[in-house]
Amino acid sequence: MQVFLQTLVGGLSLGAVYALVALGFALVYRTMGLVNFAHADVLMVGAYVASTFTMTEHLPFAAAAAAAIVVTALIGLVIERMLRPLEGKDFDLMLIGTIGFGIVLEALATLVWGATGRAVPSPVQTAPLHLLGASIPSYDLVVTAVALVAMVALSLFLERTRRGVAMQAVAMDYDAATAVGINVGRSNAIAFAIGAGLAALAGALVGPLLYVSPTMGGSIGIDGFAAAILGGFGSIPGAVVGGVVIGLISSFSAGHFHGYSDLVTFTVFAVLVMIRPTGLFGERTVVRA
Amino acid sequence: MTSDLQPLQRRAAVLRRPDLRRLGRPAGYLVLAVLAWLLPYGLGGYDMHVLDTALVFAILAIGQGLVMGIAGQINLAQVAFMGVGAYTTAILTTQEHMAFWPAAVLAVAAAALMGLLIGLPALRVQSHYLGIVTLGLSLAFLNWVTNAPLAGSGSGLSGIPVPPLGGVDLTNDYLYYYVELLAFVAALAFGLFVVRTRLGRRMRAMRDDSLAAGSLGARIPVLRMTAFLLAGVYGGVAGVLYAGLIRFVAPETFSITEMFLLLAMVVIGGRQSLWGCVVGALALSAVQEELTDLSTYAQLGYGAVVVLMVVFAPTGLAGVPHRLRTALQRRAPGPESATVGPFRPYPPAEPRPDAGTLLQLDAITMRFKGLVALSEVSLQVRAGEIRGVVGPNGSGKTTLFNIISGLYRASAGTVALQGRQIGGMRPYRLAHLGLARTFQNLRLFRRLTVREHLLAALDRSPTRWAWRYVLWPVGVWRGERDLGRQADALLDRFGLAAFAGAIPYALPYGIQRRVELARAMAGSPQLLLLDEPAAGLNGTEKAQLVEIVKSIRDSGTTVVIIEHDMGLVMSLCEQVTVLAAGRVIAHGSPAQVAADPQVIEAYLGRAAADRAGQEQPVTTPSEEPS
Repeated sequence: MQVFLQTLVGGLSLGAVYALVALGFALVYRTMGLVNFAHADVLMVGAYVASTFTMTEHLPFAAAAAAAIVVTALIGLVIERMLRPLEGKDFDLMLIGTIGFGIVLEALATLVWGATGRAVPSPVQTAPLHLLGASIPSYDLVVTAVALVAMVALSLFLERTRRGVAMQAVAMDYDAATAVGINVGRSNAIAFAIGAGLAALAGALVGPLLYVSPTMGGSIGIDGFAAAILGGFGSIPGAVVGGVVIGLISSFSAGHFHGYSDLVTFTVFAVLVMIRPTGLFGERTVVRA
Repeated sequence: MTSDLQPLQRRAAVLRRPDLRRLGRPAGYLVLAVLAWLLPYGLGGYDMHVLDTALVFAILAIGQGLVMGIAGQINLAQVAFMGVGAYTTAILTTQEHMAFWPAAVLAVAAAALMGLLIGLPALRVQSHYLGIVTLGLSLAFLNWVTNAPLAGSGSGLSGIPVPPLGGVDLTNDYLYYYVELLAFVAALAFGLFVVRTRLGRRMRAMRDDSLAAGSLGARIPVLRMTAFLLAGVYGGVAGVLYAGLIRFVAPETFSITEMFLLLAMVVIGGRQSLWGCVVGALALSAVQEELTDLSTYAQLGYGAVVVLMVVFAPTGLAGVPHRLRTALQRRAPGPESATVGPFRPYPPAEPRPDAGTLLQLDAITMRFKGLVALSEVSLQVRAGEIRGVVGPNGSGKTTLFNIISGLYRASAGTVALQGRQIGGMRPYRLAHLGLARTFQNLRLFRRLTVREHLLAALDRSPTRWAWRYVLWPVGVWRGERDLGRQADALLDRFGLAAFAGAIPYALPYGIQRRVELARAMAGSPQLLLLDEPAAGLNGTEKAQLVEIVKSIRDSGTTVVIIEHDMGLVMSLCEQVTVLAAGRVIAHGSPAQVAADPQVIEAYLGRAAADRAGQEQPVTTPSEEPS
């Protein structure tokens, strides 16, 4: 029971991070129909920027995270601007293009911060909470709380602001949105920037939990992506649930299968996608001929 | 008008010019072969080793080109397939003490099996979903080889024996090169053979529009698995050659970074051309080697080149000659004219007075979630009839076609073709049963020429036919000549001979419609469904369409046509069925239907229907209100 609870706690905080990653994927997918394969590398850059500010500039954690969000949002804008000629034309090419950006970001990070990576100290030093025999690190609570706030803020933005509604309109019908006077290019750019910002937030949060290195994006990115697909791509609540599910799966499979946890997680994920390609909350779309 | 036609005329002129490249091609191959044979004489020992490794990647890249560029499956597990080949060889030889070549055969089989397994998700998901699932599965493979004691627990497996080959010492990189060269030439030749014949053509059609390819008789799930099988085999061969060359395997060789490098090779070279993939693989391997001390800069460089390539040169290096040629042609004047030729009518079939019911729909209901698109629709079409289906937008006409052609499964009711129940049958089976259709918004294949469209549609072989590629390639080649003759006859009949080599999307809309019609008729169907064939046609083209459809019917093909142009329906159809809000509201001869108050109400509203009831004769709704 104690082990179970401990695994559950670890899975939930990891799940919160995955949910943030999934939200970034989902936002960009919802507005542009594009899966950003560079998302994980944007996260890695965010983790580096945030940890650099806290470790060498001794900025408070919140300020460092904000700086990371700004930097990566700019990167997001650059990516969107470069790939704009392909928008609405060839998704496979755009996908390959974002993989190209991912390669570039990884190389840049290696050049700037070196290939070895760094351990980031936890910004919260208080003692862990004890609940039913399981110890809950206080930083895990911070991670979960920040992730929750970000999710709520994003939903409010999409549902309650003009810009958010306009972005959803673009997602539903590109041409119709253009026709009613929405600046589609700007809407996409904002979506990309917010998506990148979410990735940076996830990166800043995950830094103290994991080890920050140029290749850290790989598995977090795929787990976050798996979360987004599992939740039903483009669905905001789906991304949150998907994140938690994937967090729990990887946490429990790490407990049970030790070294083989990736093998188990990705195989389970592949099977889930085959059983229900539209995810838990995804809409079944009808092919129009 | 003439200025509009000029680029077209030039293109047509170019197409008619005798293809000089064809004469130069065997000579080119010969030169390449001699160069490849002599290459080792000019290379030092280390460069030789680099070249050997590059050739392994070239074979791997051909596999990636086939699955991604030709079949359009986003596969990010190609390096893992190579890993399966290499690791199986290593495990069987070092742990099980098997001899190298039997182990190699099993390794290729294992990689092929892995190709099929990792390809399974492609049956359910496509595009980016498929990309991430295959990427995840290749991480799963890496996770296994880094942990399993059988695979050396992450430190890799060394001591793979030298492949024995008579008395030839294959520890020598120079001699190993020739072994690899033979494998490479065989791999490339087989790949090109597949691409240029029916299997590859079907794959390219599937890549461009899987729905249309399916309705032409291609069995999409099997084709996708075939593509992954090919990728697995190429990966396995590359893995075996790698194991024999390096004689040591470790997880890092098959990492995601390497996968992205391979992807860069294929994209930079040109994913839709196998030659491009090879050039990309060799070039990037060379650059990688030059910058081995600056590997991060190399990574930065190829990442940036990939981004620039997808934006500015999506066809890669392989597409450069074509782009140059089109750029040059734009300046050169083109003399001849090229409009669509006259249609040559089909020879009329013997009239069959006893023709029974060909298509019978009984109480078809179709629900999408809450929306009822069709409700209890029944319809009978006699063999040899031209049936019109009309109705306002959203009345369910296209939904009806989608049910008949197998794209949708009706929520209730039955569909029978010649007395045989076809409800719920997949489109490819219906195509083989003699059903063909066109689409409202022209589903032509984006990167196939007009002639290839017809070749793809003429090909009615079942997918298991693909075995001949391995067991009887000569048969494939002969079949190809037959298909070619039929395609030329069809091009001629539909007056499209001048556009045989053109990409339809570059042609005027009327010609595109004609191409789609020819494509649908390629299979000599019993039943042809035309979904708004006159949309976007001018008056002359509409008149031609009437002539063509009548000839098609006279040749023995029954036609069901959805059309908004009432004049066309009146002149073409013997019987008209009117749909409104998912129900059949009228049925009869065009004149009867046009006078039906319910029909007038559906089109023009109640007031119009009342007025029409008072004053005879009725006004004919000539065009639907949009």
